[in-house]
Amino acid sequence: MTAQALHPRVQIVWALRAVLIAAVVTVPFAGGAYLGRLPTWAPAVVGAVVLVLGVAHAVARYRRWSYEIREDALYLDRGVITQVRTTVPLVRIQHVDSRRGPVERGVGLASCVVYTAGSRGADVRIPGLTPSGASDLREELKRLAIRADGEDAV
Amino acid sequence: MKLAPQSIPYRALQKVSGVVVVLFFVVNNNPAWGVAAATGVGAVVLLVAIGYEVAYYQRFDYELTDDTLDISSGVVSRREREIPYRRIQNVDVSRGVIQRAIGVAAVDLETAGGSSTEGSIRFVTPDEATRLQREVQRRKSSNRGRSGSERESEPGAAAGADGEAGGQSGHRGDFGPDEAGPDEEELFAISPSELALVGALSFDGRLIGLLAFLSSGSVPVLSSFVPDASAVALTATAIVGVGALFLVSWVLGAAVAFSNYYGFRLSRAGDELRYERGLFRRYSGSIPTEKVQALRITDNPAKRALGYASLSIETAGYAPGQGGEQGSQAAVPLATTDRVFRLAREVESFGDPQFNRPPKRIRWRYAFRYAILIGVLVGVAFGVNWVFDAGAPWYAPVALLLVVPPAAHYKWKHRGYWLGENHLLTRNGFWSRTVTVVPYYRIQNVIDTRTVFQRRWDVATIVADTAGSSSIAGNDAAAVDFATDEAVDLRETLRERLRVAVADHRAARDPFEWFEGDADAADEDADGASESGESATTGSTPPKPPDDGVIRPNFSVSDRDYSEPAELVDTGDYAVDDGATETEESDDGATETEESDDGATETEESDDGATDDETTGGEAPTDDATAENDEPRSGSTGSET
Repeated sequence: MTAQALHPRVQIVWALRAVLIAAVVTVPFAGGAYLGRLPTWAPAVVGAVVLVLGVAHAVARYRRWSYEIREDALYLDRGVITQVRTTVPLVRIQHVDSRRGPVERGVGLASCVVYTAGSRGADVRIPGLTPSGASDLREELKRLAIRADGEDAV
Repeated sequence: MKLAPQSIPYRALQKVSGVVVVLFFVVNNNPAWGVAAATGVGAVVLLVAIGYEVAYYQRFDYELTDDTLDISSGVVSRREREIPYRRIQNVDVSRGVIQRAIGVAAVDLETAGGSSTEGSIRFVTPDEATRLQREVQRRKSSNRGRSGSERESEPGAAAGADGEAGGQSGHRGDFGPDEAGPDEEELFAISPSELALVGALSFDGRLIGLLAFLSSGSVPVLSSFVPDASAVALTATAIVGVGALFLVSWVLGAAVAFSNYYGFRLSRAGDELRYERGLFRRYSGSIPTEKVQALRITDNPAKRALGYASLSIETAGYAPGQGGEQGSQAAVPLATTDRVFRLAREVESFGDPQFNRPPKRIRWRYAFRYAILIGVLVGVAFGVNWVFDAGAPWYAPVALLLVVPPAAHYKWKHRGYWLGENHLLTRNGFWSRTVTVVPYYRIQNVIDTRTVFQRRWDVATIVADTAGSSSIAGNDAAAVDFATDEAVDLRETLRERLRVAVADHRAARDPFEWFEGDADAADEDADGASESGESATTGSTPPKPPDDGVIRPNFSVSDRDYSEPAELVDTGDYAVDDGATETEESDDGATETEESDDGATETEESDDGATDDETTGGEAPTDDATAENDEPRSGSTGSET
């Protein structure tokens, strides 16, 4: 299996999140402007800057994200500012979820969460899959984890 | 088996004690009717509590079966719990002062799952507690002996396995705590001078943090009370205050450490480590060596100067925060560095570590980092000075710049990793230095992170994540700031060594592993087929049963891109869930095993034909059925049930 990218629509999910963050950040500035402490253009500029950064981050994140199932491990490569590459040996997979949040349902996507007994990387999430893809990936990982047969992980 | 009968009044009084405090205040505030009311309420509450505890006592029952410890408990909501011996991580026994006086002990059994202690038995007699501890170990080893090799299924096998696991084992049954289980071999007992050192070197910084937090809130308030005091007097008071604070927290830390580690003893019995400690509250516990996730050897400048270090042994048993103040329960608080390493090698036999250090250029990075920190400190001091107009020397922190080069150097010097034969060792920390020993077999996943700044320096951090408990506090085994190439190599090496370690363990578990080779062969077959690019043809020839007549599922990794919907196969009105769950079906059908994800198979095609024959002239219903099949998710969940 070669490295797989995510579904492009996942950018919408992340962009929506950026919109939310921009809104939250803008609120205090809007309050300041309303009370006359800040110039009226301040909230608009702040909101626009945060939004542009957020959307750019979402796009960059999509471009960076890739995952790959190799013969003995699941590889994830992600992160824009801090790049993170996670290796999850199939032997160590405890269980696998596929899940769909409300926003994901809205854009017709799903994600797959892989759990290990580790403490830091206890769950790794692969977003941006089609619903059928997520459940198929879940089944495939299950299949491979059963084959890997890591009996006593802890 | 039942709890100790003394536990009824003890538990009842424990419950009631909270009420008594409340009643005490009621009495104090209302002398007129308070006493009578308090006595009445107290008596009623006590009766209710005793009644409840009697019921609890009667309901509570634990039993050691062949392979599980069964606990049934609960008065209102009842619970039956079975804990397989193999899954038990630690067995801890603790006895407080009062508990010791009335002769009861609390037993806690930890497994890796769940967020709290899984098996909590309150309270049994101390003898029974010890017996439980030993018996769990004995049954665990005999249990493993049996399940490990199924040839030895006759009753005598358990005895054989038991003897081999525990050296000389008293296999005469449940006669007493001392007769069951192997002999104890003492590894470490704390000497009085070491205990004194533990106390002297234990400094509880948290108290300072707490007091500093509280006092920082009160500084503006206080300064308004003493407006006339000169800056010198204020500074002097502050210095004295801070000094007193340090002294108090030092004494407190020493007292806590002293009472915690009084009489510390670590011993080894067969494949199990046992510890005992505590002055007021006695703790004792057992840790199976096969459940050890990581070892951690820490020291700080004071300990380093004196040639001492501490060791902690991590299992996955304790939930986050549950280990409490001491973290891991079986920590050797202090011993000479040699001895700590010898002890650690007793538990995990890693060799003589030769640490690889990060590239020297990385010292500049630390120097910059510390310099920035000092800059921030100066800025804050300047701000405070400016706001309060105190005229204090706000530039004083600049003097700390002198410390930056040595600090950066030591931070670099103390970093490192080493790949042993079976273990990864990492070392970190410029002030308190920690060496973490992780067996390759215990690695859960490997994480490679590179921040923006690390990328500028072309370095990366590799974390070998384990299921240990204190890793949550950020003490993972991490090789920090190694050149990217080296880090990538390390990551791949760790993955490979984990694979090898797992294979070795599997081989040790079942020496007659015939599955591996055949599975590889099956993989090769599948690879060959997919290389030819016609995975559909794999299915069109019904797979021949292998020579030994055993059908195995196809475990090859598919090329499927899961961010695209799966291709749909027109199966007529015969609902076939293609791809996802075929392994589940593969048990009952030889022909279905070799289905590939994207290809139609012989079975499906023949089914197609069959259904077409059946529904001749009825094209519409077939299409409907296909349309329903367009939702593979529902299909897959359906077949899962």
